Amino acid sequence: MTRKLAFDKFPLKSTAPLSVEYRRAVRIAVVGKGGAGKSVVAGTMARFFARGGERVLALDSDLMPGLALSLGADVPDEPPLNAAAERPEGQRWRLKKGVGAVRAVQRYSVRAPDGVRLLQVGKLGPEGLPPIVASVQAFYLVIHRLPRTEFFREWTIVGDLPAGPRQTAFDWAPYARTFVLIVEASWKSALTARRIARIVRARPGATVAFVANKVRTAADVERVEQLVGERVRASIPDDEAVRAADRAGAALIDHAPDSPAARAIVRLARDLSGAELLYS
Amino acid sequence: MKIAVGGKGGAGKTTVAGTVARALARSGRPVVALDADSNPMLGISLGLGPEQTDLLVAARQALDAGELEHQPTMEGIVETFGTDAPDGIRLVVCSRIDTVEPGCP
Repeated sequence: MTRKLAFDKFPLKSTAPLSVEYRRAVRIAVVGKGGAGKSVVAGTMARFFARGGERVLALDSDLMPGLALSLGADVPDEPPLNAAAERPEGQRWRLKKGVGAVRAVQRYSVRAPDGVRLLQVGKLGPEGLPPIVASVQAFYLVIHRLPRTEFFREWTIVGDLPAGPRQTAFDWAPYARTFVLIVEASWKSALTARRIARIVRARPGATVAFVANKVRTAADVERVEQLVGERVRASIPDDEAVRAADRAGAALIDHAPDSPAARAIVRLARDLSGAELLYS
Repeated sequence: MKIAVGGKGGAGKTTVAGTVARALARSGRPVVALDADSNPMLGISLGLGPEQTDLLVAARQALDAGELEHQPTMEGIVETFGTDAPDGIRLVVCSRIDTVEPGCP
């Protein structure tokens, strides 16, 4: 674990001497079918890493609400990232002058509990895409700069992608080394997982960690493995606490930190951080 | 009657759409079921079975591969790109994403 620094005191460019041995930080994207439990897993892991002293950037590229609730973050009505991008006449979208990945996170992310920084696209409202399109474009540009931005080298990044294979195919998680693929014991969930896994494996350097969710019995885990045709890395029990937290609009880690599901997600986070470090 | 089913992931959109389509077909109406999800699963809820659903070729992929010709009419689209599903339903899958696609965010 590294020391914890207040974000705003951290220099814009890393001034750490070259002799410092950098620890490779965890880079995860959580993917799967709709309703599989992606946001709960992503939100709980992000909070857990932050509590352990990591600097954590949580990324939400879903146009529907999700990760902010699971993190326990308050989100402004107007998507802050709208201010980060512009589209000059007849040209493509670009980040505004002076806005890079560091500035974008500094200015346009919101604070979530435990010091997590949440950067997210705007959410669809009654007027559809036009009011938030700048935030979507800015988000895509920023996340593509993250992997080569020195400042974030030691930051833990946890991304929550929308349902299905679409964003994985369109490269909406260029930062991710591990794709945490949430699967339930159902055909629709398993077929979705197979499709996403195929796409992830076409990316050099990316690995898939299958996670069985809403598990009631050991047979559910076997069923998932049978349907997907792969071994699962972890399983998360079906837990009333998850539904209760959702009804209360609260983060699982606040609402029921000792629930079986929260414990299982924390175990998974530990396992993934150990595994990612192993290959560094 | 033209119905679109929407909602959050996992809420049951596909199950409702598939069941409504089957019920309407059984009441004697001709039914076209349109799967507009880029992760198409409607075949499962219509009763085609998961394996066959996973093998369905989407219209866009068939066109890209040059396997089928463009169809200027709605009837042509349903005829050329459709699959027969139980109770006489004709299922058309619009597009499916299963490879890494460059560009377009």
